Amino acid sequence: MFGLIKLIQSLVGALHSEGTPGQLAAGIALGSILGLTPLVNIHNAVVFAALVLLNVSFAGGMLGWALFVPIGFILDPLFDWLGHALLLAPSLRGLWTSLYNTPIVPLTNFNNTVVLGSLAFALLLFLPLFFATRWAVTRYRATIGERVRQSKFYRAVMASKVYNVYRMFQP
Amino acid sequence: MTTSPQPLTPRPRFKIFRWRAVGPLLVLFVILAVLWWLFADTIARRETQRVGTVIMGAKVEIQDLHINLRAGDVTIRGLTIASPHEPFKNLLQADELVAEIDVVPLTEKKLIIDRIAANGLRFGTARTTDGRVAAKSDGKGGGASIAERVMAETREWASQFQVPVLQLATGKLSIDSLDPRRLSTLPAAAALAARADSTQKALQAAYQGLNLGPTIDSATATLEKLKTARATDLNTLNQGRLAIEQIKRATDRVTALERGAKAGLAGLQSGLAGLDSARLRDYAFAKSLLKLPSLDAPAIGSALFGPVAVKPFERVLYYTQLARRYMPPGLLPRATTGPQRVRRAGEDVRFPKEQALPGFLLRSAELSFLLRPNSDQPQRYAGKLSGLTSDPALYGRPMLASASGPQLSAGAMLNHLRGVPVDTAGATVGGIPLPAFDIPGLPLRLTPGDGTTQLGLKLDGDTIHAMFALRTTNAKWSGDSGIRNTTIGDVIWRTVSGISNVELEARISGELHKPQLAVRSNLDQAIASRLRAIVGEEVAAAERQVRERVDALVKEKVDPVRAQVNTIQTQAQAQIAQQRARLDELQKQLEQRMRELTRLPFQR
Repeated sequence: MFGLIKLIQSLVGALHSEGTPGQLAAGIALGSILGLTPLVNIHNAVVFAALVLLNVSFAGGMLGWALFVPIGFILDPLFDWLGHALLLAPSLRGLWTSLYNTPIVPLTNFNNTVVLGSLAFALLLFLPLFFATRWAVTRYRATIGERVRQSKFYRAVMASKVYNVYRMFQP
Repeated sequence: MTTSPQPLTPRPRFKIFRWRAVGPLLVLFVILAVLWWLFADTIARRETQRVGTVIMGAKVEIQDLHINLRAGDVTIRGLTIASPHEPFKNLLQADELVAEIDVVPLTEKKLIIDRIAANGLRFGTARTTDGRVAAKSDGKGGGASIAERVMAETREWASQFQVPVLQLATGKLSIDSLDPRRLSTLPAAAALAARADSTQKALQAAYQGLNLGPTIDSATATLEKLKTARATDLNTLNQGRLAIEQIKRATDRVTALERGAKAGLAGLQSGLAGLDSARLRDYAFAKSLLKLPSLDAPAIGSALFGPVAVKPFERVLYYTQLARRYMPPGLLPRATTGPQRVRRAGEDVRFPKEQALPGFLLRSAELSFLLRPNSDQPQRYAGKLSGLTSDPALYGRPMLASASGPQLSAGAMLNHLRGVPVDTAGATVGGIPLPAFDIPGLPLRLTPGDGTTQLGLKLDGDTIHAMFALRTTNAKWSGDSGIRNTTIGDVIWRTVSGISNVELEARISGELHKPQLAVRSNLDQAIASRLRAIVGEEVAAAERQVRERVDALVKEKVDPVRAQVNTIQTQAQAQIAQQRARLDELQKQLEQRMRELTRLPFQR
């Protein structure tokens, strides 16, 4: 329940933050990588660092992560299949063999079918998700955004303590 | 009129980096590094236990593990590896293992151990909990580990050697489990009864289809006319000739019917013969329920010691096949089950590369271990191991292992360098108490005591040659209280109880999927001759009992069918014979009268 409330707070807070639609969309797209791929991997440390260091919406990143975790679980069989196809493709064998025998790279677990499949899927999804989210946020703010801002629901969310924590990372 | 220029509001400069977040991020990474430093030993210990358990198919437990990256060594204390085959036994325990590792290959996720010094190894110690993992699985599940699959395969392999055991000492020669539904005679009898019904109907229909009545009536009337006719009565003579033709044609139809009836009846007779064959099969099936072995000496050896002798082969094959899975030849990409996590594990694909380091390599290990650890004077031995690697083709040398001591000599070589792996192993161990075992099917237990065991194996591709031998002069036999209550039990007990010198030898050879097992012991001949003398009558009586039981079950179905077939045959033959006789008689009389009428006057 707390997770759901937090998700709603993140969503509402991010949509009405001072960040641009592009910042919010970039945050959500980066967060989707965290959600779609198995979390404990080095590439996710890089994504997390990018989320913190780049001037994108951190809250959007957390929102993207939370939204895409269940999707990642659901799509795991697809990721497994995709990773299997990529790793065992004869034309890519040379590339994988080189990477596998290069320092640090094997620590990313790229040679795991689910990790590679999900990462490939997340990277393919990155740009479409970025543009779609940016368009959706712009439309939202231009249409019903102001009415939501005036609603009791929004004020209740803004008054929450969790929201204060969120504000620490707003762009 | 000029308008004054609008003051330009400077567009806010968009910053790509959030520099103020560098500090918190660094702090976070420092915290993570400190946490790793604090918990690295625990994490490594748990991961080693998890990976070891998956690899061995039995619980691997470590009391303490310490990583010293600066010195490049890992110290493991209190290592316990449970036996994958026995529930409350350990495969080995080690007081301390010190591994010198290459740190740089760790960045490639490769574990290269230059040397391991193992102290205080002990084998076959007892444990309080069941440490098996692979043995509890059927190995067929989608997520089954390599060890689980290998365990299932070796179990299946060993199960093909199960030989009929002798159920004599308990005096139970029972076929209570004989299920009538499993007898082949009963469905065969039911099928034959149905066939007999349809044959009978077909014969009856064919018989009625002959329609001989009008032909016979017409011929009889013509014969009466001929009796009073003169030689000049041409019309009557023509009628006589016509009647003879009709009778001949009717006779032909009867002959055709007889031929068809013979074929149908022959089918039924063959069905009856099939019932006899089915009954013989049922006798054999019921006899198999008795589990009566042959009373020849080699068969006795297999029946008594076969299952016991197969166990060492099963175990050594398990470890050999495990090694083949984890140390495959060649450099092709290899997929193994991925790490356990909340998300799907997927598969890890390894990509070995020529002239690169293998994923795992133990260059050399020095082992120091104890045999008879619980005795007053435990015996200390030493062993060596080298070239244990996940990619033998990269390492370029086979894995070698050896151990020696006062009464121990063991060696093994796993050569997976080429496409066809060749594994050889041999061990001779003396002076240690051998584990007691039950004689299958008999309430007898043999405690070999101190003795010598030998095990040899050569697995060349899929061809196996293996030998297991056990020799002891201190054997002790024990039987439960019921063994002497029957004559046969008493005979077996008297045969073996005085024998303290036991020599058992088992050999397996041939293709792995269809190996031949030969077991012999010094007890075979003695037991066989005694059994043949005493048990021969018992076996014959049991076989009689089997036949009577089968006969009783099938009699009520088979006898009516047999009677039905006989009735159909008798009835059909009688009907055909009767009709044929009437036709023949009429034809004869007609021809006789025609000859009389057409004879010339001087011939009369």
